[in-house]
Amino acid sequence: MADINRQTGAAGGESERAAWLAEMERASRAKQETFMNGIAARLRHPRMTSKPAQPVRGAPDFWRTFDWTPEERVERFEANWRSVGGHTARAKDLAEAGRFIAERAQELSARIIVRQDQAELASLGLESSVPDAEVSVWNADEDVAWKARAAEADIGVVIADQALAYTGTVVVRSAPNKGRSVSLLPTVLFILIPAERLGTRLGEALIPMDEGGRDALPAGVHFITGPSRSSDIENDLTIGVHGPGVVYAVIIG
Amino acid sequence: MSAQKGRATVKERAELALNDEFLVKAVKFTTERLRNGKKNASAEHGNWDEWRERGRQIRLHTIAHLDYYLNLFVENARANGVHVHFADKGEDAVAIAMDIAQRKAAKTVVKSKSMVSEELHLNHALEQIGVEAIETDLGEYIIQLAGEMPSHIVIPAIHKNRYQIADLLSEVAGEKLEADTTVLAGFVRKKLREKFLEADIGMTGCNFAIAETGSMVLFENEGNARMVTTVPKTQITLMGMERIIPSFEDLEVMATLLPRSATGQKLTMYMSAITGPKRTADADGPEEMHIIIVDNGRSLQLGDPEFQELLNCIRCGACLNACPVYRHIGGHAYGSTYSGPIGAVLTPALNKNVAEWDDIANASSLCGACYEACPVKIPLHEMLIYLRRRKVETGNGKAVETAGMKGFAALTGSSAAMKAALAIGKIGQRLVVRGGEIRTKLGPLKGWNSYRVTPSLPRRSFRDRWEKLNREVDADRPQMAPDMKRRMEQIVKERGKGGGGHGGH
Repeated sequence: MADINRQTGAAGGESERAAWLAEMERASRAKQETFMNGIAARLRHPRMTSKPAQPVRGAPDFWRTFDWTPEERVERFEANWRSVGGHTARAKDLAEAGRFIAERAQELSARIIVRQDQAELASLGLESSVPDAEVSVWNADEDVAWKARAAEADIGVVIADQALAYTGTVVVRSAPNKGRSVSLLPTVLFILIPAERLGTRLGEALIPMDEGGRDALPAGVHFITGPSRSSDIENDLTIGVHGPGVVYAVIIG
Repeated sequence: MSAQKGRATVKERAELALNDEFLVKAVKFTTERLRNGKKNASAEHGNWDEWRERGRQIRLHTIAHLDYYLNLFVENARANGVHVHFADKGEDAVAIAMDIAQRKAAKTVVKSKSMVSEELHLNHALEQIGVEAIETDLGEYIIQLAGEMPSHIVIPAIHKNRYQIADLLSEVAGEKLEADTTVLAGFVRKKLREKFLEADIGMTGCNFAIAETGSMVLFENEGNARMVTTVPKTQITLMGMERIIPSFEDLEVMATLLPRSATGQKLTMYMSAITGPKRTADADGPEEMHIIIVDNGRSLQLGDPEFQELLNCIRCGACLNACPVYRHIGGHAYGSTYSGPIGAVLTPALNKNVAEWDDIANASSLCGACYEACPVKIPLHEMLIYLRRRKVETGNGKAVETAGMKGFAALTGSSAAMKAALAIGKIGQRLVVRGGEIRTKLGPLKGWNSYRVTPSLPRRSFRDRWEKLNREVDADRPQMAPDMKRRMEQIVKERGKGGGGHGGH
């Protein structure tokens, strides 16, 4: 496994580095004043330090009440997901989803599976149902180079924090037990979506991010709308350029 | 300022582009596809104009209070643990990025698409200090191998076919790769994956920055921007100072407008909101995160009633796809980082370079298709007219064009002069006629022939036949200005000697 924790060394010790960063910060704060004052001068108003009234914020009013029934959401989510080259499946519960993933893993002869460290995913029982594969649980062991582990994995398994039918989008938030790499680096990705987390509009995920505020946000919130793709070579659609090329959305319930 | 300055003018570069049949076909095909995609996506979504107006209002408000919102963003980003830097000029941003790279003793930087980085020619600067900068967007990677500039804001390698791409990639692979999209993309995936894992620094652009939370948002399809912000230990984000929107609530409007306008998608495959470096207990994400806020001419538009709205641009490329001129000549002909209608206005605006206005502002038919396509309703076609007017006001009007138009007025006003000029033309054109058309951009037809083709003069012109009937009226016509007459006579004399005939250029 590649060691990606390379030591560069050449930049001197930690304290020297901290001193340099502190110096950069002092310079930045000084510059910030002239930068903002310059903008205010160009805009021909005194420097604004209190929040201006925002006359128009977010989506048009008619959009905010737009909502599909739970059945419509599932139908539209699946149609959107498939239209961009993703795969969909339904399972009545986690046990059935676990069996579905195990079958696909065996078909594909998966050697390494990485999953997030969450109770729902533990209950899939992949450790026993896919005996030929090594199942790694994200960040469960300090000594593992986790990014490299995800990069060599055949399959990643995550559970969605939210999903939105109108665009066919899944939302995953990072955390110590939920790596960003798990939904990005493996070749094949399974995303479990509990049906009650499936909403209609993008705003249903975005507006709570404002309400919770800066402190409540994780380092990464990722909106995933299908497999990694590119049309950069002669407009010919290619799947799986950098991220997973095969992506299953498994709706549960 | 551009890598292709060797061919000095848009006109000359357009000639190059127009001669390249593949480019013309590829650009037309792609822009057509993107344009139809946008039309379908915006029609399917419905109430498109209401969303556009919403987008325009949000951008107008943010830019009008940019000192407040940018400052709020900076304070929040710092509170998230981000190191924020300010760069008045491109060189300042380059110096900051190089300082960070040197302090890290970085050997490689993996980059996801950033128009600001193109604008600063950052890769070149990094190379000079021995840091390898690798573009990881598939199209950008291809043109980096070819040593070229992007020709489209959304599809940078639009001008290359898969055989050319196979040749480029085969060189990297050290073996012959089949000219098959899947094979080629598969090779790039493997090759770049190694680079992601060994890179010291990940560098990104920024589609939107959320003032109220200090988050930065990236839209992409390939997943390389996610790689760049997940795997390397240090992240540097280059951000134009105008990328701000107040809130995630406002992002819903931008996320509705941007992908539909760019590619006709309901949403790009990935939209990532990054709020600071990794949290202590996280096992991935950067340990150190820098955001460099770049002015580089942007603030010159602030407070300018005619051009402030330029800063509303969300870089979707819809105006390129809609523009009949872009579709015909392709992006390289504009000779700058930003091409198409937005580039025609933004490039001179960022540079306040009057000489440039001369050239690029004329590469437009003023048809207004760009405004119709723009998701935030920037009146680009009007701005092109303002540019032309300003160039005249500042005395930088094209001397040639002005003289040409005056000359034309004098000539058409005087049939004697017209006759003389036609006679000169009939002699002179022998040197420039190809296949019954005149395409030269030298001499008196210089300005006129830029994007038009003048038919060659028939041997016996309508004017010759009309001569008799008009003879009596001739006396009443105004005479040609004496200095012009002298010049014309001089030219005829020169031609008579059989000399040069290159119109003095």
